Amino acid sequence: MTHLTLSNVSKEFSGTTVVQDFNLDVNKGEFVSFLGPSGCGKTTTLRMIAGFEIPTAGLITINGEDITNNAPNQRNVGMIFQAYALFPNMTVAQNIGFGLRIRKESESVIKDRVAEMLSLIHLESKAGSYPYQLSGGQQQRVALGRALANQPQVLLLDEPLSALDAKIRVQLRSEIRAIQKKMGITAIFVTHDQEEALSISDRIVVMYEGKIEQVGSPFEVYNFPKTAFVANFVGTLNTAAAEVIDPLKGILSMDGVQFVSAENLQVKKKGDAVKFSIRPERFSFASEVKKENVLDCTIENITFLGSVVRIRVKIGNTKFNMDTFNNPFLELPKIGDKDQVTCSREAVLVLDD
Amino acid sequence: MKRGGLLWSWLWMILGILYFFLPLLATFMFSLKALKGVYSFKAYQNVFADPKFVTSFSSSVFWAILTIILGIIVFVPTAYWVRLKVPQLRSAVELITLIPFVVPAIVYVFGLVRTYSHPPLLIVNSPGLLVAGYTILSMPYMYRAIDTGLRAIDVQTLTEAAQSLGAGWGTILFRVILPNIRVSILSGAFLSFAIVLGEYTLAQYLAKPAFGPYIGLLIQNKAYEPAAATIISFALTWAAMGILDLIGRGRQPQLVGGH
Amino acid sequence: MARPALSRVSWAWLGIMPFFIFAFLFLLYPSSTLIIGTFKDSKTGVFTIQNLLNLLKDPYILGAYWLSIKISVVTALGGGIFGFLLAYAAIRGGLPRFMRSSLMTFSGVASNFAGVPLAFAFIALLSPTGMLTVWLKAAGINLYAQGFTLYKFWGLSVVYMYFQFPLMVLIIAPAIDGLRREWLEASENLGATTLQYWRYVAFPILLPSILGSMILLFGNAFGAFATAQALTGGQVSLATIVIGAQLRGDVLNDPGLGYAMAFGMVIVMTVVMTGYTILQRRAERWLK
Repeated sequence: MTHLTLSNVSKEFSGTTVVQDFNLDVNKGEFVSFLGPSGCGKTTTLRMIAGFEIPTAGLITINGEDITNNAPNQRNVGMIFQAYALFPNMTVAQNIGFGLRIRKESESVIKDRVAEMLSLIHLESKAGSYPYQLSGGQQQRVALGRALANQPQVLLLDEPLSALDAKIRVQLRSEIRAIQKKMGITAIFVTHDQEEALSISDRIVVMYEGKIEQVGSPFEVYNFPKTAFVANFVGTLNTAAAEVIDPLKGILSMDGVQFVSAENLQVKKKGDAVKFSIRPERFSFASEVKKENVLDCTIENITFLGSVVRIRVKIGNTKFNMDTFNNPFLELPKIGDKDQVTCSREAVLVLDD
Repeated sequence: MKRGGLLWSWLWMILGILYFFLPLLATFMFSLKALKGVYSFKAYQNVFADPKFVTSFSSSVFWAILTIILGIIVFVPTAYWVRLKVPQLRSAVELITLIPFVVPAIVYVFGLVRTYSHPPLLIVNSPGLLVAGYTILSMPYMYRAIDTGLRAIDVQTLTEAAQSLGAGWGTILFRVILPNIRVSILSGAFLSFAIVLGEYTLAQYLAKPAFGPYIGLLIQNKAYEPAAATIISFALTWAAMGILDLIGRGRQPQLVGGH
Repeated sequence: MARPALSRVSWAWLGIMPFFIFAFLFLLYPSSTLIIGTFKDSKTGVFTIQNLLNLLKDPYILGAYWLSIKISVVTALGGGIFGFLLAYAAIRGGLPRFMRSSLMTFSGVASNFAGVPLAFAFIALLSPTGMLTVWLKAAGINLYAQGFTLYKFWGLSVVYMYFQFPLMVLIIAPAIDGLRREWLEASENLGATTLQYWRYVAFPILLPSILGSMILLFGNAFGAFATAQALTGGQVSLATIVIGAQLRGDVLNDPGLGYAMAFGMVIVMTVVMTGYTILQRRAERWLK
């Protein structure tokens, strides 16, 4: 059952179209991320759901009710801001209870709900503290408690982790996900960090220049990117240009080197130019196991990244990154060596531009 | 922005504009009435032709320049030294620079006159005292401007770099530090200029020629000339502030009123 | 090693000496003669608090202080409120962008435009033959017949406002800037109306800054001299005017009393500045 829908939503600012024809159905309890670079329209879309911007065209409904033009204080959606936005003149407990006080709930209801939230976000001991006395991560948790205290229908998170240290970021994102699951609340999460989106979302909406590039589960979006942008933005990727040799058999030629792809190339003709991509982790040394593609290469560079070893190889005239797991007993080649690498047909992804 | 809110904003803005401009308008209109029945700039001509105007105005400009120079000589090395070598004295120095803010001008003049009008410190009649007094009055602004400028450049690193290249203190101050805080010094200088030119109390009670007391004198003797002098004074302040704005976009020290 | 450390410290202090000498000669020493003169009998030179006692017993002088306090409170409140509304309108009120910078520049000019020229400008506007007085008469409102006069308390207050609102605008602007947009959005998101936002969030946050600024305005008016002197010719007996008269040898023949008055003013101003600093700290802490 769809809980939140956006139909053909567009937003224009003085002539520039910032969001174009946005369509999405979100189910109750789903955690959806809007992922994309700065300026792609993800935050604007989120703010339209919150009511801080009004769409130029299109419809937004929650639970079947049209809220497109409602004022922000009449939507019952909870918003978490990048800069926490806690009221500095109120304690943690007062911040959390703010929405309820506005609604004129009774003191006992407020007290109980605040206590409930405090234990949910594990900050019982900080109830009387002021925001300036808390760390960034703590402030964001209070913001979460404050939004959830109001029992909103949808939780909106606008890059909530971008202002925090790396370690806190990782910790807090799983906490947020855990709380969201526990409360079964629908959530929209905006981020430019693809690792973040991949790790906690049910579905990801990849956006670029105001348009949706792809919607899918993290697994789908990562392994089966539909466009060059998605392939490049999500995860690291090798991309190269090639010419179609045999559309039926899926054979491409790049710099004279032949690649076999499992993709359906039947819409293409021989001689067409295409772009293809291969994930670095899909390569392996041919000395181990030979797959459908066996490619001669020269070793250009070797970088030790900890658990991963990244080897830069030159195939034909193009350089590719190859990632392989670290293994103390692995015999790595030397720079300048000639070697052979291999990858499967499925690893060669042909992209629509 | 909601409709009602915008109306409210315009209301206050218009009231503010009216309040600010009506007195100026009245003064300007009045200043044009020197010749009976005709609007003319006669009053301005009279003012500019008045020898006393020339002496008092040029005296004020002269005092202002001396004040600025004295300010630079005393405050730049001080602010530099505090930042670099004796940061523990920072609060004490800042407190001192804020005293002129706290002590009303008339009280300060009172103390200054009383102190220096008896031998052996009988310097109450020397122009030096006037300039020193002006420097003290402009200290909160001048020092703050210089300090702000020094804060923006990494004094420690610049000094160490200069020293490693063989520079002595004089060279460091004049060839390295000063050029880099030029903008801030200019801001402080313009503020000091505006203050000295508009200042009345100190000059009046130290009996020295200056623009402030000159206008005071005009009020007592003439009708239309004070209006012209007021407009001139306002235009000068505006010009100084305008230039200040252009120079110190966003980095000005706070402008607090004189009396 | 003890020797090098010692020479380094004294070398550093040497660099600061010119400043301290200058400040001592022309600021601290004259100020101290004020304090010393207050506690010294002007005829015998003996330590005494009689001067202060005389001050507190003299109704004329107490009246002067009271009048100064009154005008300072009135113009601090009036200037503070109007200045705040004006600043908020220009910064967050949805007005065209250029209005903010124009307001700031003009406030810089106006807050410095005090003293004789300001007095004259208002004479030209609101004296019995002033421009506005004449216009209002033509519209049927006779100011002076109603009892208004520019040369007494309320007239002087109106003139003081001319440098009080701009001062307020300049001081309160950073605090208004500091009102983050997210607070308004967060409160709306949680269901609050604009009025509730002001009542629970914006106003409490701004209060320390507003109060601190008003205190500064109070101090500004309290120490003002030239404007009142030029406008009223010394007729309105503010504390500063009385001190000025003392300097000219007009009114009092007791220098000790003059010192005590000046000392009293400095005490008041110190209290004012301390209050301001405390409130500023409070405000900064919240707006971090």
